[in-house]
Amino acid sequence: MTTDLLVATAEELFAELCSHQAVQDAERTGWAPAAWSAIAEMGLPWIGVPESAGGQGGTLSEALAVLRVAGRHGLPLPLAETGLLGSWLLASAGLDVPAGPVTVVPVDHGLLYDGRTLTGTATRVPWARSAERVVVLLPADGRFAVASFPTADLRVEPLTNMAGEPRDTVHFAVPVDVVAPTSIDAEQLRLRGALTRVALIAGALERVRDTTVQYTAEREQFGKPLNRFQAIQEHLVHVAQQAALVGAASDVAGRETERGGGAVETACAKSLAAEAVHVSTRAGHQAHGAMGMTQEYSLHQATRRLWSWRREWGDGAFWDRYLGRLVAARGADALYPLIAGGTAALG
Amino acid sequence: MKAGPRFVTTDLRPLELALQSEVRAFLAEELPRGSYRPGLGFMAEADKAFSRKLGARGWLGMALPKAYGGGERSAVERFIVTEELLAWGAPVGHHWVADRQSGSTIAAFGSEAQKQRFLPGICSGELGFSIGMSEPGAGSDLAGLRTTARKVEGGWRLDGTKVWTTGAHRTDWMITLCRSSEESDRRQGMTQFLVDMSSSGLKVNPIPFLDGTADFNEVVLDDVFVPDELVLGEVGRGWSQNTAELAFERGGPDRYLSTYVVVEQWLRETADLDDEALRLLGRLTACWWGLRQLSLASARTIDEGRSPVVEAALVKELGTRFEQDVLEALQHLVDVEPSPQSTSLFERLLCEAILTAPSNTIRGGTVEVLRSVVAKALL
Ligand SMILES: Cc1cc2nc3c(=O)[nH]c(=O)nc-3n(C[C@H](O)[C@H](O)[C@H](O)COP(=O)(O)OP(=O)(O)OC[C@H]3O[C@@H](n4cnc5c(N)ncnc54)[C@H](O)[C@@H]3O)c2cc1C
Repeated sequence: MTTDLLVATAEELFAELCSHQAVQDAERTGWAPAAWSAIAEMGLPWIGVPESAGGQGGTLSEALAVLRVAGRHGLPLPLAETGLLGSWLLASAGLDVPAGPVTVVPVDHGLLYDGRTLTGTATRVPWARSAERVVVLLPADGRFAVASFPTADLRVEPLTNMAGEPRDTVHFAVPVDVVAPTSIDAEQLRLRGALTRVALIAGALERVRDTTVQYTAEREQFGKPLNRFQAIQEHLVHVAQQAALVGAASDVAGRETERGGGAVETACAKSLAAEAVHVSTRAGHQAHGAMGMTQEYSLHQATRRLWSWRREWGDGAFWDRYLGRLVAARGADALYPLIAGGTAALG
Repeated sequence: MKAGPRFVTTDLRPLELALQSEVRAFLAEELPRGSYRPGLGFMAEADKAFSRKLGARGWLGMALPKAYGGGERSAVERFIVTEELLAWGAPVGHHWVADRQSGSTIAAFGSEAQKQRFLPGICSGELGFSIGMSEPGAGSDLAGLRTTARKVEGGWRLDGTKVWTTGAHRTDWMITLCRSSEESDRRQGMTQFLVDMSSSGLKVNPIPFLDGTADFNEVVLDDVFVPDELVLGEVGRGWSQNTAELAFERGGPDRYLSTYVVVEQWLRETADLDDEALRLLGRLTACWWGLRQLSLASARTIDEGRSPVVEAALVKELGTRFEQDVLEALQHLVDVEPSPQSTSLFERLLCEAILTAPSNTIRGGTVEVLRSVVAKALL
């Protein structure tokens, strides 16, 4: 399938699965089993995971393109966690990719591995309650290794983010039977996690743009559609700009990561995404007036996700600092080459 | 719902990267750091000798036909050259307008004789151009302009006043938009002329800029004769030609890099960056990187034969506001009272930038006007 066709297929499927009511229901119950079956049947969670490892094959860019569509619709499923993060970690360590949903413990988890057991508490683990396995990246012998655990062996406390998406607290006190070394380190996992959020945010920013364009064309005040007022047009321009900026950033960061680099691009993209959330949600809500504040109207399904996703895998400030250090270490003469060349200019 | 602005990202191909290295090596050789005072983007100094060197390299009029001294190179190649020049703070003032818009306008609408007469000089860095659009009564609403062109034997007589004409005191030619007939639709009946700045009846009066510098002018046209062969394009079609010219003017790296050198110099002069400074540096890097992706995407779109008018307006609106935000953010961080006489180059550049930055969101179409261009594509 070409990327365009893949995106069109995902668009059609996710639109059908993510009716306003379906997303609200998933937020209430914490899981959308029928939706999961539908996307699993098409193999969508495992795009970008090599076929040899039990995935669907395809590229990282394709997986990110599908994720962006998921972001546009607020798909209430661990799509990023299962494929781009979980299966990626498992496959990198030569471990089997399970058939069900998988989740990943974010970096800086503070879990303790003493060579035999893993103990401690990990927070903000997406959809842990519904995952078949929880995957952890562990420091081992100065390198990193991957371990994964059946969720049934763990104690999971159900919590959510501001969008009602499961972000559970997981208590570990489990024997570790298999730890498999991987070449992936904590920084790469963090970058990849950030990249997934950039793609989701890019999609949700498109949703805010489209919803706002449509609403302001239909709603009339003072005898004309809102979009005829210059003050409202300014909001439209802002939501369009931010969607364009983060969409472009997401594409480039994905492409560079696929080529084996991508650190600078991902950091830039996540920084831009964080600011975009601020600008776009403000303008989008303002243009909607009170209607946008209701549960019944769907704007919040995008904006609550945007406010949540910007904070996950490092908010803007985290990545600004990361970039600032890269630049500072190289000095003023290296600044523009870095802006123009990205990761390739790091040398 | 309309499609709205669309950007397809791209990256540099091997030959384009080679050009980038070539430009960097040229700048390091011709303008070693410390040997010149870096300029603020395209407001940098006019230095004809420097422009001629660029011309000799084939880096002016890059997209113009070879038959007239151009390079027949791509918009992306031009993007690469201009972004490096601007980031270096190179003295691009002499050739800027000619290279960015006058040459392309002449190539698009000019007669064969005009192309032969003007384009080689633009490509060599010889000729400097001014933009004769704005008038005292016609700013954003340019269709309200009143400079008239009256048909006479063998040519036209121009009467009126142009204002805010950048560089008019030093340029050779001005592409001048005039009303050549009265029509019920104000956008009809306009014509563009190539006006020789040494014409009799043409007077350039300086309008000192708020910081005392003199690049801004009033150009008074008092019965100035322009021969028929210097009518640019079609009589009466001036408005649409002028609109096309404005599109050349927008969306390039000059619309987000004007305050770049201030930050680079701050970094050069600052030994220890604290956490707040690192964060700002990272944030600005991300913004320049992102704007560059959009601007580069537009350049590639031009090479694919489309005209990204809305996209260019979107980038310019975002980029010029960002240029100003950069200064505000730096001033929150750096605890100095900047002095124009400071021994610190950073402080001097900061002063210059603070004093000139309001113009970034005004010139060549204000952000308000740009927003209506973008919004129209979204209605
Ligand atoms: C540094 C500099 C260099 C320049 N160089 C040149 C040059 O070389 N040649 C040349 O021809 N011109 C030049 N200009 C002029 C420039 O193009 C005009 O300043 C610009 O088009 C705006 O016109 P104005 O200044 O008359 O402002 P006005 O049009 O009077 O606008 C004043 C304010 O009102 C707003 N406004 C106007 N109409 C609307 C509307 N319909 N909706 C909402 N807001 C509106 C504007 O956005 C602006 O904020 C230069 C300007 C500057 C600052």
